[in-house]
Parts: sequence; structure tokens; C-alpha cells
Amino acid sequence: MFNFISGSLRRGPSFIMKGLRGNPSKNRCSSDICDADTIFALSSGHGRCGVAVVRISGPASGLVLSSLAGRTHSRTVPRTARLCNIIDPRSQELLDRGLVLWFPGPRSFTGEDSVEFHIHGGPAVISGVLQALGSLPGVRPAEAGEFTRRAFHAGKLDLTEVEGLGDLIHAETEAQRRQALRQMAGDLGQLYHGWSQRLIRCLAHVEAYIDFSEDELIEDGVLNQVDSSVSQLQKEVERHLQDGRRGERLRGGVQVVIAGKTNAGKSSLLNILCQRPVAIVSPVAGTTRDVVETHLDIRGFPVLLSDTAGLRDTLDSVEREGVRRAMERVEQADLTLAVLDSTHLPKAHQGVPHFLLGHLRTLLPGGEDLEAALRRCLLVINKSDLLTDEQVAKIQTVLSQAEELPPVCLMSCHTGHGLDDFMEALLKQVKTLCGDPLSGSPSLTQARHRAHLQRCVQALAQYHRYRDLDLALAAEGVRLALTSLGRITGKVGPEEILDVIFRDFCIGK
Amino acid sequence: MAVVVSLLQHRLLQEWEFHTDCLMLLRKLFWRPNHPQFPICRTVCDFPLKKYDVIVVGGGHAGTEAAAAAARVGAKTLLVTQKIQTIGALSCNPSLGGVGKGQLVREVDSLDGLCGRAGDWAGVHFSILNRSKGPAVWGPRAQLDRELYRQFIQTELHAMPRLTVLEGSVEELLVSEPNPDQPGQHRVTGIRIVDGGQTISSSSMVLTTGTFLSGSLFMGQTTSPGGRIGDPPSCVGLSHSLREKLGLRTGRLRTGTPPRIIKATVQLSLAQINAPDKQPTPFSYLNKHTRCKPEEQLPCYLTHTTPGVERIVMESLHLNTHIQQDTKGPRYCPSIESRVLRFPGRSHQVWLEPEGLTSDLLYPQGLSMTLPPDLQLRLLREIPALQRAEIQIPGYGVQYDFVCPTQLSPSLQVKRVQGLFLAGQINGTTGYEEAAAQGLWAGVNAGRTALSLPALSLSRTQSYIGVLIDDLVGRGVTEPYRMFTSRAEFRTALRPDNADLRLSPRGFEEIGCVSECRYEEAVRVRDALRDALTAMKSISMSSTRWREKLGDVNVSESKSTMLSALELLQYNGVTFEMLASAFPECLSKHLEFSQRLKIEAIYRPHCERQVREMERIREEESLSLPLDIDYFSLPVSLSREVREVLDHVRPHTLGAATRLRGMTPAAIVQLLNYVRKTGQDRHGKRGKHIEMAALEKEGGI
Repeated sequence: MFNFISGSLRRGPSFIMKGLRGNPSKNRCSSDICDADTIFALSSGHGRCGVAVVRISGPASGLVLSSLAGRTHSRTVPRTARLCNIIDPRSQELLDRGLVLWFPGPRSFTGEDSVEFHIHGGPAVISGVLQALGSLPGVRPAEAGEFTRRAFHAGKLDLTEVEGLGDLIHAETEAQRRQALRQMAGDLGQLYHGWSQRLIRCLAHVEAYIDFSEDELIEDGVLNQVDSSVSQLQKEVERHLQDGRRGERLRGGVQVVIAGKTNAGKSSLLNILCQRPVAIVSPVAGTTRDVVETHLDIRGFPVLLSDTAGLRDTLDSVEREGVRRAMERVEQADLTLAVLDSTHLPKAHQGVPHFLLGHLRTLLPGGEDLEAALRRCLLVINKSDLLTDEQVAKIQTVLSQAEELPPVCLMSCHTGHGLDDFMEALLKQVKTLCGDPLSGSPSLTQARHRAHLQRCVQALAQYHRYRDLDLALAAEGVRLALTSLGRITGKVGPEEILDVIFRDFCIGK
Repeated sequence: MAVVVSLLQHRLLQEWEFHTDCLMLLRKLFWRPNHPQFPICRTVCDFPLKKYDVIVVGGGHAGTEAAAAAARVGAKTLLVTQKIQTIGALSCNPSLGGVGKGQLVREVDSLDGLCGRAGDWAGVHFSILNRSKGPAVWGPRAQLDRELYRQFIQTELHAMPRLTVLEGSVEELLVSEPNPDQPGQHRVTGIRIVDGGQTISSSSMVLTTGTFLSGSLFMGQTTSPGGRIGDPPSCVGLSHSLREKLGLRTGRLRTGTPPRIIKATVQLSLAQINAPDKQPTPFSYLNKHTRCKPEEQLPCYLTHTTPGVERIVMESLHLNTHIQQDTKGPRYCPSIESRVLRFPGRSHQVWLEPEGLTSDLLYPQGLSMTLPPDLQLRLLREIPALQRAEIQIPGYGVQYDFVCPTQLSPSLQVKRVQGLFLAGQINGTTGYEEAAAQGLWAGVNAGRTALSLPALSLSRTQSYIGVLIDDLVGRGVTEPYRMFTSRAEFRTALRPDNADLRLSPRGFEEIGCVSECRYEEAVRVRDALRDALTAMKSISMSSTRWREKLGDVNVSESKSTMLSALELLQYNGVTFEMLASAFPECLSKHLEFSQRLKIEAIYRPHCERQVREMERIREEESLSLPLDIDYFSLPVSLSREVREVLDHVRPHTLGAATRLRGMTPAAIVQLLNYVRKTGQDRHGKRGKHIEMAALEKEGGI
């Protein structure tokens, strides 16, 4: 959505005209129940930028304006920038000084009341503002494509624009998925996953007690166990929310992974990019066994570069683990630098594109469609110094005609041949990725997680409130808690609940 | 004749104090409790009509409800059954209702189905399960007298206008070219009967073959064709027609039933007695009382298995063909063999249930088994109360074919065969209530289709019947499907107390299967409840004043908080009677509904919060995807995997599509756009919430 928004702003006048031509009968967002929530998102890219833009849309926009900027919307001039102190409504702490704009509906991008904050681009400021917004009642982080969807509802988009919506949501969901994967791979992921498993068990036991107990073998003890599990979970999630700011260090920046077969020169590439020996390089295949990470600044854009173990079948258990981690990193990466030894190319030059495509197919994450993965890939053919000039020329001719391949750079880490072209290609990719605030922005994911976790805690409180009054309503609390947590860890269906029931109890009636 | 009728009427009115339902009164005239044989026993020869609107095949819970529902919506209906005597027979357990299942019975009753009133007539032990767990999950349940149940169903069908019953076996389904204006590859035109090979034609047909579709019975190491012991085996022809002629995908499931024990040989003093509710609660909204008087109810008995039971099961596994096969059986109603195998070293419950007022048999719930008969007896005698027990009919297992229900539309019509509807175990479900619910709905739609009215579907936001059908046609089954309250997302709104308000008005106004009397009663209740709620909302006082007015009420709010009477009624310990005595002028006229009002007050705030989610699901359900869509050539960007899933299941609505595995939010938006563009969506406002569905879906990342 963010790419889309910036795109549409650039298209300015024509876009507004289209909006006006939109079907007025659809313009009834105020009564539309599905838009009851107010959403927010970081709308600017997150590279090194002086100014970040945070957008808010929905009925509580007026509340946002008064709570964070101390302004009443009725007295604010619409669509006019104003310099304000931006305050955290919980602590009254000053977060930043920035420009605030008020767009009352229907004359806004989404057709709803909207607010924009133009704040300083530092991660601490952005994260502070996002967290402050998330703490307001009825305000939550936007899901992928949600701003655009609301604009669509309000009749602000025409059909041709809507057609792009599916692709847009796909792209954004992919970005979120990669990001979630990154987090879920760490301790945080294990923590959330563990909670989810415990909650599934709690729900299964409550449901079993409701659907079966009376004349079966499910005793009251089951519920007492659920009581203590729910209390324990509630405490743990609350504690986690309290020290959320000091939580797991989240890796910011565009995630670039160097991957390829052993001894293709991955670590040499890392060292060249860092201009210092970060990784040990040697002609022995399998030198790098773990993931080597380094933060880089590529012409102002933050990049987290990871070098990985070379991919090969091996009996060495340490190296095997390294290979597994390498595959995991590729799955989570925003951009993969696929490194290949030029001497491994087939001698017949016509066969090179086919060979390269086959190589990428084994390297890039399976399952997902290859086309999408190829868009997030840069192919590096290393050791060009080992080829003759004639060979290099021929390969380059063939490659320039191969359309299905991602950008390819023929270079030598040893002599520096082709390095400039490679840097240009890399910069181009990183720039595109940085324009998308979803890639590598930990604060946004964090804000989303917080919102879901807060709902989870509230829902667990409902369980206790109704526990002795009405078990159906108490169970509803656990259902709701699991749905909220499921937004982070993955959806849980009724069949899974039934599976746990039948695993844990002998139901005979 | 007139004298007989009035005498009968007089006798019946004494013991059967039904609510003033004109239809009921009419049916009472036809009630002949001691009539040994079903009166419309006809053979094909003296059978005048050869053309019906609807033919229903099968006379079990699904078939009887289907035939009655089709006749109610106005279709000329023929019920074909192998044995008229067994119409309405309870093949397995002598009970109706329970948690989740009781809700289904109430809903079937709200649509004027038979099973609720039959339960009230035949019940000999009534209890509401889950009494302590919140009214949304109460489970009305009754032990039944098999004979009374069967008689009631048969009498009801006899009195039903437009319904004829024929004893016979179906040899073949007759099909022809489809109607080109509608999707589908075939169209049903009628049936061919086994003896004489006569054909009877119809516009639509409901198949409710239960366990008889290629059914085989298992006991020990012997196997014989059939669907129920003592009945003729079902025709192989029908199974063949479905698979070969119509190309339907089928699967195989199994179930079982326990031995029936002679009551006189059981030492009931060694079992724990289980008493019914002191005041029986009827299933039907039309009944104020059950036929059985409170004090005449029969008890059930509880006993437990011993290690000896486990030993016999383990020693005789090699003699037990049924248990060795890997056909899927129900996990929640397992045979004693599977219970012992899955949870060894435990004592399992065995309920000894009465089979009726005059029956000399007991039904041992929980002891379904397929051992050889001599071992069954040895096993039983390992249980203290059954040490001297004698078996009248041994237990046995059944394996049968079912049609994968994803091939059906939400109207329960087979997607590729115009006019062919399926209901009950043939769709992979288990249980009387599940069968009755599907039967009713298939009957309604078969009738409507025959009368050229549009087929209808029920939303999962409005009824358990909707949940049941949506789960079946949208997700299919891997084991016999049983209803649980946990399957319903909106459990707190789909309560057993309010099924009449959810379904009866629509049943009359739109569906056409509900009598005017029932409709008027439902409207009266609805209006009264609405008035009472409005009145309670208008009474508002501070919590201090409430305390003064009602005495010691435990209200946690601070003293000055204003509370309406409706809000106060949510509190534990506050009853509508208390409020009515405080404000007699505006509330006492609603005392008839005090329990319903209390329940409404508890759940109302919660249900209001769910309205948005319900609305979204209803929108999705209302957006239909064309059945003949070619997903592989659809000019939108969908991944191969998504196309394959869509092509395999062919979801009927966008709502069903969102619940499929592997669907992505992007794919849903693409589908929505496609449907919009091709003009499938004629209502401008639809689809508004679909994007929200996409949103929900991506929550799972």
C-alpha cells in the first residue's frame, strides 16, 4: 500500500480526478461497519530520510489529533501543515516536533477523516509515535493494503486501479510474511508459538468440557487447570508487553543475503562490500559454517548483510546446521545475492541462461512461485578472471538476451573487474526495497504485535470475568485470545481444537 | 366414524395437552396408537400416480423430515422405503438431543420439522445437559420409547397432505440430459423400482440411504451385505448409479451399535442411578408439556468397564474383522474396542438406558462392539451389573459408502446433477439430529426446485443447520461428522432458547415450510420480547437506588452509575421476576418470558459486538461463484496451487472460498474483482466486506 500511496501522490491531479469520477453511491464509509477501526501506518520509506510520514485514517482521527498534537479538529484548518509538539498521550512525554495535517472526510485519500504526521526520520522517533498511536482506544496498525481498500470502498479508486489491488496485497503480504518469518525464527517467535500452543490446549479443554463433560469422563479438574494456565499466560503476556521496548533486538534495514554453493566466493563478496575482512576467506570449500552478519550503509540506505555457509550435501553436522540456517536466511531475505563460480558455467554458451535458471531454482525458497522469488534476487557470477576475454564477451551477449533471468553481474572479487556495475545493480535494488516501508521496519511489526497481544490479554481477562457466571461467554474469551495471537503465529481452525480434544480425552458418548 | 373421532379426541386431549396448534389438533384425529400396521401400505400395482414433484428414497430421520418438508412447501411427494414398518425407527441409541444436537432439534422444530414433537411424544427421560455452563450451550436431551417415536412419525406422515408412501426398493436412478439453462451435467427424471421394473418420474429427488449404500454388516469374522440388522440389503444398483452413471466421488465410513440386553437379567442395584430432570423441558416450541408425566419418567443407570473387559478385547482382536480394517469411524462415539486400544488401562463409562416404557430391553451406551456373539456375552459379564446379563440382539458394525459432500451445493443438491439432493449419512454425517436437519433442508429445496422456486441456503451465522451444511459442502469430511457447539463461531447467538425467533419467521415468509400457527406464535413471542426489552431499557436508575428497590443485589458498579433494568438483569442473582415485582405496571405482563429475557440480557451485549463479524460472513455467503467457472483459464493472476484448490472443491460462495486451505488474501480479492466484472454480483453493495475477509486471512501470516 505504501508504494501505492506514494505512487498515487506523485500522480496527483489525475488521481484526484479519477477519485471524483468514482461511484458516489459507494461513498458511504461513515455508515460502513467494517471501517469502524482507525488505522495507522508509516507511509514513507525508511532509508536514511530526514522526514517520515505517518498516516492515520478512520473515525478516531480527531481523537488522534487531540491526544498527540493537542489540537481540536474543529479548530484546525483542513489540509494545512502546522508545526506542533507531538506528545505521548500516556506519559505526556514529548516525542518530536513536526508538521501535522488534518484531512476531514470525505475529502481525503480514504474518504474518511485522516491525519498525517511529518516527523523526524530516526527509528526512535518513529517507533515512539507508532507506539503512542497503538495505545489509543480503537486505533490499530493497518493491515496490508488497508488504506487502499478503504479508498476503494469510498469510491475513490476506479476499476483499473482496483485491478492492481490483488497484486498489491500479494506483494505486501509477502513483505509482511518475510518480516514475520524473521521474527518468528528467533526467541520471540518461540515465545509466541509457545503461548499459542498453550492457548490451543486451554481452548480445547474448555470446549471439551462444554461439548462433552456431563456424562463423560471429563472432570471439573480440567477447568481448574485451564484457570491456572490462563492466569499464567495472562501474566506472561502482560509482562512481555511492559518490557516490550527492551525486547529482542530487532534487526532493522533491508535484509540482503549472500548465498550459493561452497567456494563460489561469497565471503570474498562480503569482504569487498564491507571493505574490511569481516569473514575468513580461504580456498577450502566449507570455510564459512555459520551466518556472518554485518551492518552496511549503501549510499545512505541501511542494509543488514548476511554471509551464509555454502550449500552442499555434507555429513559434517555443524556444517549441515550451517546449511539449514543459510536456507532459512534466504527464505527471510528481502534480497538474495546468488553467487556462482564462473568456471561452473556450461561450455556451450547458449545453455547458460537455462543453467542459471536451474541453479536459482535449487537455491531460492521452494513452494513459493519462482517468479516472485526472482524479483528479489541478484545473480553474481564470480571469478571472471578465470575466463578468457572472449568467453566473457560471449557470456555477456547471451545474458543480455535472456529475459527471464534476474539482473546478472559478471565480476571478479579477486581483480575488482565488474565491481562498479555490481554496485550500481545492488544500489538500484536496495533503493526500490527501501521505498517500501514494510521491508525491514521492525517498529511497524512491533506495533502490530503489540496491538494483537493487548487484545489477547483483554480477552483472557474476559475468561476470568465470566468463568463462574457463564462458561460459554468465558470460552468466548479464550477463543478471542487465540484469534488475536493467531494473527501473529497463524490461524487456528476448529478441527485443530477437536484434534487436541480427541487426543487428550476418551470421549465415549 | 365421527363418534370414533370424537372419542379419540377426548382421550387424547386428556393426556396430550398440546398448545393450541390447529395443525396438531388435526393430526390428533388421525392418531391411532394401537394400529399395528402403517395404513398407507401400497404396492406399485394399486398405485395410481406415476409422476411426483419429489421422490424421497429412505425412511429414516433424514428421509422422513425430507418427505414432510417437501410436502409442506407444497410439492406432491412420494416416500419410497424398503420396509414401511421401519419408517421412523431409531436404529441405534434410544435418545434424541444433547449438547449441540439439542440445538439442531430445536432448529428443525422451528422450521416445523417432525423430530422435536416426536421427541416430546416419545420421551421417557428428559434432561437439559450443561445446565451449569451457560444457556447458550444447554443441551436438551431425552431418552425415547422406540415404539412411540416410530408411531408418532408414521402418524404424522400419514396425516400429511400431498404425501404418499410406497414400499419398494430402488433399482436405478433415471437421468437425462441437463436443462441447458442451469449448470450440471445430468438431470434426474425418476426411479425404477426393483420388482416389476416400473418407473416413477419426478422433478427432483432426495436420497437418504443412510448406511444402506453398499452397506456391509460385521460381527466377529462374518460379513454380510446390509445396512441394519434384520432389514433387506440395499440395492447395489443405486450405488452403481451414483458412481458410474453420475460420476460422483464416494468414500467409505464405519459405525457400530451395541448389543441389546434383556433388562430382567441385569442387576441394576449394582449400577448408579441417574434421575431425569424433575420438570421435563419439551423440545418443541409448540409444546408446553411432554407426553410423559414428570413422575412417570424412567431413570438411566451408570456403570463402568473392568480390566476383564479390556482383556477380552485384546485377546479377541484376531477374531474381529471390523476393527482390523482402517475405514474411518467416529472418534467421539468409539466402539469399546477402539476405546480400549486408544486409552488402555482405564475404566470406561457404560450407560444403561431404557428402550421404552414397555420394552424389556436395555441399551448399553458405550459398548458398541463387533466381537463374535459368544465373546460379546463374555465381555458384558465382566461388568458387575451385567454378570448375569443375556443378549437379545448382539452388537455389530456397519461399513457403508458416502458421497463426498463437497460435491453438493449449500442447498444440498448435487452440483452436477440437476434435481438430485442428498441428506444424512450418505453425506458422511453421524447422528439422528444431523440427519434430520439435512433431511429437512434437502426436502425444502427439492420441493422448491420442483415447484420452480429458487433453492435457498441457511447462513452459518443464523443456525447450526447452516454451520452443519456449510462445513459439509465447504470442507468435506474425513470421519463421520457430528455437531459440536465448538463448530459454531456464533455460539452465543445460536442458542437453543431462540431458534424459533431465528428461523420460524423466515420459515414462513420466505421458505414456505412453516405453518401459519407456528408463525403467528413466533411473531407473538418476538414482539413480546421486543416490548419487554424496550421497557427494561427505559427504566434507568443509579445503582444505589436499585439496591434500595430490589434489596440485597450484588452490583459491582460505583454508587452513582446509572443502570438500566436490562443492564441490571445481566447480574448474577437478579431475576426478571424481581424486576417485574418492582415495576409491575410495565413488566409483569411479560412474566411468561422471564427465563428467555434473563438469557437475552446476559448475551445481548456480547452478540451486539459480534454483529460486524456476522455481517461480514453473511456478505461472503451471499456472493456466489459460478459453478461452471474454469479456474485454470480464469484471466486473473492466481497461483497454480490456488487454482487447483478452487477447481477441486468448487466453492459455491466467496465465503466458502475464504475458508479453504491455501487461499491467500490476494486470491480472494482477485476472485471478487472477477465476479464483479462478470456481473455475477447484481447487488451493488455486496462484496464490501470481502476485502475484510482478505484481511482476516492475512492475519494468519
